[in-house]
Amino acid sequence: MNRLRLAVIGFVVLATAILAGHGAMAGDGRPALPQAKGSVCVEDTQVMRRNHMDLLKHQRNDTLRQGVRGGKHSLAECVSCHATDGADGKPVPVTAEGQFCQSCHSFAAVSIDCFSCHATVPADPARTAIR
Amino acid sequence: MGLRSIPGEHGNVNTVFAILYAVATVVLVAGLGFKIAQYARTPAPLKIPTTPAPLTPAGAAFRVAREVVVFESLFKANKALWIFAALFHFGLFVVLARHVRYFQEPVNVVIQLVQPFGLYAGLAMMAGLGLLLLRRIVVPRIAYITGPSDILMLLLLLGIGASGLAMKGAVHTDIVAVKAFFLGLMAFEIRALPAEPPLLVHLALVAVLMIVFPFSKLLHVPGVFFSPTRNQCDNPREKRHLAPWAAKLEAGGN
Repeated sequence: MNRLRLAVIGFVVLATAILAGHGAMAGDGRPALPQAKGSVCVEDTQVMRRNHMDLLKHQRNDTLRQGVRGGKHSLAECVSCHATDGADGKPVPVTAEGQFCQSCHSFAAVSIDCFSCHATVPADPARTAIR
Repeated sequence: MGLRSIPGEHGNVNTVFAILYAVATVVLVAGLGFKIAQYARTPAPLKIPTTPAPLTPAGAAFRVAREVVVFESLFKANKALWIFAALFHFGLFVVLARHVRYFQEPVNVVIQLVQPFGLYAGLAMMAGLGLLLLRRIVVPRIAYITGPSDILMLLLLLGIGASGLAMKGAVHTDIVAVKAFFLGLMAFEIRALPAEPPLLVHLALVAVLMIVFPFSKLLHVPGVFFSPTRNQCDNPREKRHLAPWAAKLEAGGN
């Protein structure tokens, strides 16, 4: 009896608090991301949120093991579209605090392997031209 | 009730799961609290440590710790069952630690470091559960004493593990949205949950587990700490064991 009463009281209190708090919704709770430069991503946003790691890894295998280049899911393209420019006009690494990759990866405690090899800033057009 | 629908899709799913988790949390916390209080108040009138037993209270605490962490008496009794149980419990421990990331922001360093081991721990957990289920079906003496709840608890945990591993390996969900949902719930706000079958099945089964926990055999989790044969030290000659009710009788000169 005691147990039942406790459970009922607890439930009513919590349910009321949740329904009351419901009116005061503050955003969707996702970490804030910098705006991308392009207008449309290579895939739908919902697909990218769930599967970007598989897409990137799939293309890596194609490129690295079979020599297929020019695929649609290019990490370099991700970086060039999603990196932002800092106050000094130079691009900020996508793995810096609050930047595109790091925001969610730090939120979800997922480490990123990509950038131990790949560049975290877009390729410098001037340097690429010289080469 | 002044319920506003959520901007975006599937407002009802969000509300249902928010309320489900509120209820499950209350039942789990209140139920466990009640059972622990009940266990703590239950008299242990006799001095009955299984000998050879530690001679000091600190030694007895260490013995309980060995029992809880490495299942010492099970190891001495049944090696195969110990392996199954260890696979499941150690796997579950790592998996639970890994899930802490959904409830704290920023995420603790230890929780960050445990992330890469989640898949292996999940597989170990499933292997342990599968073997425990097999044991209940295949070994005749065990099958004879197996009740519905024994099987159902294993199936429930297997379902949770299978839906979780499905999201890990095959059909990913939007984990950032999942974390936003639970952080929101902890602040009494309802946020959008990705309405996808594997995630909803996973969350529903976990809520069921939380709700049945205080009424089930899973109470061995707090219960193990209250075993008189494990948590008493072997000092009946040095210090007379006198239960409070016996002391009262003696003082009253009955």
